[in-house]
Amino acid sequence: MKLPNTLYLLLLLPLLAGCNLQKDIDVVLPPHKPVLVVEGYLEYGRPLRITVLESSSYFDEPEVPLVPDAKAFITYKGRRIALRYQPHADPVYNKYYTHRSDEIMTGQPGDMYTLDVSDNQGRKVTATTTILPRVPIDTIEWRFNEKEEALLLTSFQDDPDKANFYRYVVHRDSVEKASARDFFVNDNLTNGQRVSIGSGYNYRKNDTLIISLYHIEQKYYDFLTSTSDAKNANGNPFAQPSRIKSTVEGGIGIFTNLVYDRKMVIIK
Amino acid sequence: MHLPSYLLSLFLLLLLVKAPLAQAQVVNATITGQVRSATDRQPLPGATVGVPQLGIGTITDAKGMYRLELPAGTYTLQVSFIGYETITQPLTVGRTNQELDFRLEDGGNMLQEVVVEANTLRQKLNTNQMSVEQLTSTEAKLLPALFGEVDLLKTLQLKPGVQSGGEGASGLYVRGGGPDQNLVLLDDAVIYNPSHLFGFFSVFNPDAVRSVELYKGGFPAQFGGRLSSVVDVELNKGNPDNYRVTGGLGVISSRLTLEGPLVKDKASFIISGRRTYSDVFTRMLNKANEGSADYSPIPDYYFYDLNGKFNYKLSRKDELTFSSYYGRDFFKFSDASFKVGFDWGNTMASLGWRHSFNARAFVNTTVSTSSYQYTIANQIDVFSLRLRSDIQDFTLKTDFNLILNEKHHLKIGAVATNHSFTIGRLNFDGDDDRFSVATGNSFGAIEFGAYVSDDYEVNPLLTLNYGLRFSGFSNSGKNYFGVEPRASAKYNLTETLVLKGSFASMMQYIHLVANSGASLPTDVWYPSSPNVKPQRSQQVAFGASKLLGKGKYLLTNEVYYKWMHNQIDFRDGANLFVNDSLENEFLFGKGESYGNELYLEKIQGRTTGWIGYTLSWTYRQFADINDGRRFPNRYDRRHDISVVLLHKLNKRISLTGAFVYGTGNAYSLPVARFAMQDIEGRTASIVPIYSDRNSFRLAAYHRLDLGLVLKMKPKRGESDLTFSIYNAYNRRNPYFVYFDQINHETEKTPIAFKAKQVSLFPVIPSVTYNFKF
Repeated sequence: MKLPNTLYLLLLLPLLAGCNLQKDIDVVLPPHKPVLVVEGYLEYGRPLRITVLESSSYFDEPEVPLVPDAKAFITYKGRRIALRYQPHADPVYNKYYTHRSDEIMTGQPGDMYTLDVSDNQGRKVTATTTILPRVPIDTIEWRFNEKEEALLLTSFQDDPDKANFYRYVVHRDSVEKASARDFFVNDNLTNGQRVSIGSGYNYRKNDTLIISLYHIEQKYYDFLTSTSDAKNANGNPFAQPSRIKSTVEGGIGIFTNLVYDRKMVIIK
Repeated sequence: MHLPSYLLSLFLLLLLVKAPLAQAQVVNATITGQVRSATDRQPLPGATVGVPQLGIGTITDAKGMYRLELPAGTYTLQVSFIGYETITQPLTVGRTNQELDFRLEDGGNMLQEVVVEANTLRQKLNTNQMSVEQLTSTEAKLLPALFGEVDLLKTLQLKPGVQSGGEGASGLYVRGGGPDQNLVLLDDAVIYNPSHLFGFFSVFNPDAVRSVELYKGGFPAQFGGRLSSVVDVELNKGNPDNYRVTGGLGVISSRLTLEGPLVKDKASFIISGRRTYSDVFTRMLNKANEGSADYSPIPDYYFYDLNGKFNYKLSRKDELTFSSYYGRDFFKFSDASFKVGFDWGNTMASLGWRHSFNARAFVNTTVSTSSYQYTIANQIDVFSLRLRSDIQDFTLKTDFNLILNEKHHLKIGAVATNHSFTIGRLNFDGDDDRFSVATGNSFGAIEFGAYVSDDYEVNPLLTLNYGLRFSGFSNSGKNYFGVEPRASAKYNLTETLVLKGSFASMMQYIHLVANSGASLPTDVWYPSSPNVKPQRSQQVAFGASKLLGKGKYLLTNEVYYKWMHNQIDFRDGANLFVNDSLENEFLFGKGESYGNELYLEKIQGRTTGWIGYTLSWTYRQFADINDGRRFPNRYDRRHDISVVLLHKLNKRISLTGAFVYGTGNAYSLPVARFAMQDIEGRTASIVPIYSDRNSFRLAAYHRLDLGLVLKMKPKRGESDLTFSIYNAYNRRNPYFVYFDQINHETEKTPIAFKAKQVSLFPVIPSVTYNFKF
C-alpha cells in the first residue's frame, strides 16, 4: 500500500514548489554491462511475439537498444518454435516487437510455455509461464452523486483455494486508447470473497467504458510491483529503492500470459 | 514506606551486590539537600557545593540534589552556580547528619543566561560518566533555529557523535545507531515518536523543558531497552512562589506557559502549550484560489502539543510529581477524487513519588503510561477506509539510591512494562457486505528490567562504576532474557588530565518498522516475537579530557567501537503498511560502528561555545542485501564538524552562530535503465535499475546559522526578540537526488536523462518575540 508515501509527497510538494530549489548535477555512474531485457505476453488467438532489447547505462543516449543477433524460441508441448528477428509495430496497440512467429497461441489453462533467448555474447535468458483460467466479471454498476458524476463498481468472485492476482484496467471508448485506470491487486485481504473494485466519481452520463479484468500470475504481479516501486523510488525521498523482480532467468523482464474478461458499458 | 520492607522486596538484587549492607557505616556526618534558583525555584543541576578549605566538593544531580561527607569541625560552605550569586556560610559539622537547602539568587546580569553548559569545566572533567551531553533549554533558546523554532534535539545534533538524518530533521543518529535505537524519556516515561512533521520539529516545547541529557555510551545500569542512546528530558517544575506567564510569538507557531503555586511551599503547577498556524494562511490561500483551474490546493497541516507538571511536597521526605504530554499532528487534503485525513501523536502521563528514608537513602518510584498512534481516514460517498497503528505502555519503575559509605554509592532498581501493539489495523467498508475488509495485528507483551550498580571510589585518583542489568521480554509465548553488564572507570592522571573508559551491553526488544531516512508518522513499533529476536549491542569507549588555558577550555577526545547484532532491515519493495505477515518482510543482519570524537569547549567569559569533530564509520550487513556484502548505513558520515559560538556583545545583545559540515549521506541511485512497454505500448516507461544499496554519496552538507538575541526593557517582566538566519549563505544542501527524463517538446519521446538534486531550505530569516512576566 503506497498511500502514506503519497501523503508525504503531498505534504512536501508545497514546500519544494515554494522554494524551487532544484538543480542539475553530475553523477558518475559505475560502468554498466548491458543485460538482455525481454517482454513477452502470450494471448490466446494471437501470434507468438516478444520484444528483446538490452539495458542501458542511465545516461546513455536514449535510443532503442536492439539485439539483432538474439535468437528466441518458445517451447509448447515439446515443440520448439523459433521466433524470427523482425522488428515491427502493432499500430492497434502502439506496440513494438522484435521477434515473432506466425504460430498462434492456443494454450489452455494449465498449459506451460517456455521461452529461451540467447545471443552471440553468450547471454541467455529463460522463462516459463502457465496459462491461467479466466475470472469472469460478475457485475458492473455505477452510482451518481448530486453533480451527476458516477463512480464505477466492478465485482467478481475470488477463488478461495488459490492465491490470486488481478490487473484491472478501464478504457474510455476504445482499448486502442490509453487506459483511464490501471492497477493490480492480490487477494490477501479478500481471499474467497466476492470482490468489488470501486472508483472515484470519475465518470459522466453516456461515457463508454471498457473494463478488463486480467487474472495474472504471481510472478507477473511481483514484476509489476517491483517496476512500479523502482519508478516511484526515483524522485520520492520517502520510498525505498527496489530491485526488479523479473520472471526471467539470466536477464530482466517478463514472460507471462494474458487471460482476461472484458465488458463494455455505457453509463446511463 | 520503610527501608527494611523496601530492601526485602529487592533482596534478590541485593544478593548481587559485592559490598553488603552490613558494612555500611557512618564515618562522617553527611550534609544533604537541594540547590534551587531563587528566581523560579527550579532545581539547579550541576551547581557546586563544597568546602574549599578541605578541598571537598560535589555537584548537584539532575534534580539539584547534593550530598557531602564531612569530618567533624567548623568550615565555610560554598554553593555556586554560573549566572548566580555564590553563597558562603559557616557550617559546623558534628556527628549528626544535616539537611541544608539553598536558593541561589540570579546574578543580576540579564544576559547571564548565556551559559552553554550547566557544569563548570572542572566539574565536567571530574565526573565519572563519560559519553554524555547536557543541554539546558536556556542554551537552546539562544542558538539560531529553523523558522525560529527552538529545538533541543536539533541542538543536540551539534554535539560530536550525534548526527541528523537529513535537512531540518530532528532525529538523532548516535554513534551509528538509528533513531529507533534512542530511548527518549520525558520525566521517566517513554516518548515513542519524538518529532512532528518528518522530524522537522521535535515534540519538546522549549518553554516546558528544563534540560536534556544525552547518553551516547557508558550507559548507567538504570537505563535499558535501546541500543544506542538515552535522551533523558526533564520538564520544568512550576514556580512555587509566584504566578508567571511565559510565551513566544514565532513565524509558524506560538507558545504560552502558565505556572505558579497551588499551595504555598507545598504544591506548584506548570502548563505549557504550543500550536503552529500555517494552516490558517494556507486555508485563506486555498479559498482565494478556489475555482482556479491551474491551482492545486495546499494540504491543511498543523500540530499542537500540551505539557503539564504538578508537584506536591507531602513532607520533607516525600514529594509527588505528576507529568503529562499530549501532542497531535493533523493533515487534511481533498480534491475532486481524493479526500484524506491523517493524524498522529504521543500521549504520556506519569506519576512519580520521591521518598527519602534518611540522608543516605532515597527511592524514586514512577507509574506511567505512554502511547503513540496514527490514523489515516479516507471517506468517499459510502466507502470509508481507516488505517491505524498504535503502541500503548503501562510502566512501573522504581530506583533506589543507597550511600553505603564514602566509597560506595549503590543503585538498585526495577522496571516492568506492559506493551500493547496494534499494527496496520485496516477497516474498509461500504454500504453492504460486498465492501468490507478488516485486517491487522495486535500483540500484548511484557518487558522488564532489574539492575544493580555501584559507584566505587577506589582512591582519590581512581573511580569505578560497575553494574549489571537483567532484562526480559515475553510475547506470543516466546520469552527472551538478557544479561547486560555495564562498567566504567575514571582515572585522574594529573590535576588537569583525566582518562576514562566504559563498556556497555544493551538489549532492545521492540523495533521500529521504518524504511525511510525521514522520521515518518507511519513508522510503527513491532515487538520481538518467536521469529524476531531482540537487537543486541556492545560498546566500548575510551577517552581523555584535558583542561587547557588555565581551566578556560576543556578538550575531550573519545574513541568508540560498537557491535550490533540482530539488526533489522526490510526486503526490497516491502509492504510495511497493510500486511498481516509483516515479519515476512524483515531481514536480519549485523552492524558495526566506530569512530573518534574530538570536542573543545569554553563555557565562561563573553565568548563561549564549542568545536566538535567526529570521524566515524557505520556499516550494516544482511545476507539478502547487496549479496551479503556489508554496506554503509544511510547516515554513515565520515567527517562531521560543528562550530558553535555565543558572544555577549553587551548587557542587552548577544550574538550566536553555528556552522556544521558533514560528509554527504550514503544514498541509493539507479545505475541503469530499461524500457518497458507493458501490455499497452502507450504506457511505455523507463524503469530504473538499482544496484548496491547506499553505494552513492550525496554532496557534503554544510550550513551557517546566525542569531541575535535582543533583550528589551518592558515595564513589567522580561522580553526579548530573537532573530535567526537559517542557512545564512544559502547553501543548496541535498535533500534527495533523482534522475529526470527530458522529453522532446512535440513528440514526447525521451531525448536525454539528467541527474537533479532537490534542496529543501534556502536562507530563512525569522524573528521570535519571547516574553515573561
